[in-house]
Amino acid sequence: MAELLSPLRSAFEFVSNLENSIALRESQYVWSLFEVAHVVSMCLFAGLIIMMDLRLLGIGNMQTPFSQLQRRLFPWQMVGMTLSAITGLVLVFGDPMRFYSNVFFWMKMTLMAIASLNAMAFHYTTYFTVDTWDHKVPPFGAKLAGALGIGLWAFVIVAGRLIPYNWFQ
Amino acid sequence: MLQPYFQAMNDSDIAKFISESLWIYPLDQAIHLLFLALFAGSILILDIRLLGFGMREQSTAKVARDSTPWVILGFLGLVATGIPQLIQNAMREYYSDFFWIKMYVLPVALIYTFTVRRMVAQAEEGRVSPAVQKVVGLVSILLWFGGVTVPSRLIGLFT
Repeated sequence: MAELLSPLRSAFEFVSNLENSIALRESQYVWSLFEVAHVVSMCLFAGLIIMMDLRLLGIGNMQTPFSQLQRRLFPWQMVGMTLSAITGLVLVFGDPMRFYSNVFFWMKMTLMAIASLNAMAFHYTTYFTVDTWDHKVPPFGAKLAGALGIGLWAFVIVAGRLIPYNWFQ
Repeated sequence: MLQPYFQAMNDSDIAKFISESLWIYPLDQAIHLLFLALFAGSILILDIRLLGFGMREQSTAKVARDSTPWVILGFLGLVATGIPQLIQNAMREYYSDFFWIKMYVLPVALIYTFTVRRMVAQAEEGRVSPAVQKVVGLVSILLWFGGVTVPSRLIGLFT
């Protein structure tokens, strides 16, 4: 395993030695700026994902048809996701070795991939029948997607918050 | 003036209990962040609508009525998970300017949300001009995120 991962490790080490990377982790202000921006963009992204998932579960925003909520919030979710991704990448760029050796970081990355698959699976299956449940409590498939969405993104957030506590190094 | 109370929190058994556990404090921080996401989403869904974007086919009154229970749940969760962090770090918070910015803006944002913002959002359609709605939405975002969320994150970064 260690051998298999060595190209990845080299890539992280390479970035870690770049001048800009060193400058970023040594600058308290720039580093903090990105930490703050990451939390605020998470609010936009995860917040609006939760609003959509509550509607899928049939327990929130029920006065708005699902297709309208989905269509209107989607651009904002994408803005939130893009900003979260950019600020997150900058933080990894600024201190790659701290993240490389962190189990919560890799948990977060894995959970994000699974959460994205969940969103895509819903979009290419249950969402096709949205016309039949747009104004009602959604069917089981949609509820499942909503529950998985909230659960997975919640674990993404928890894993992210636990990165500073590297208990299992 | 409040220093003795913060000192008492700092020296309390609860603070000792939290600091003796490896995971209570980190988990409390993580759950705080989950309630933040819920709270932020339920605030932003209406603020974006007030700004004239988002769910534009829907009335602001309906968006407000649907989102309010989640605003309240999110807020209660934030308070419940915030208090242990305050107790655990009482003296750090006491000497943090960012903590006091948060504490001063928080009640303003809360009152604003349940008075001005609520009345504007729940007003009959056409009674409040789009320009006023936009200002009300923008002020809400600035108060909650600029005045509360940003300073909150800064407490831990600058101590």
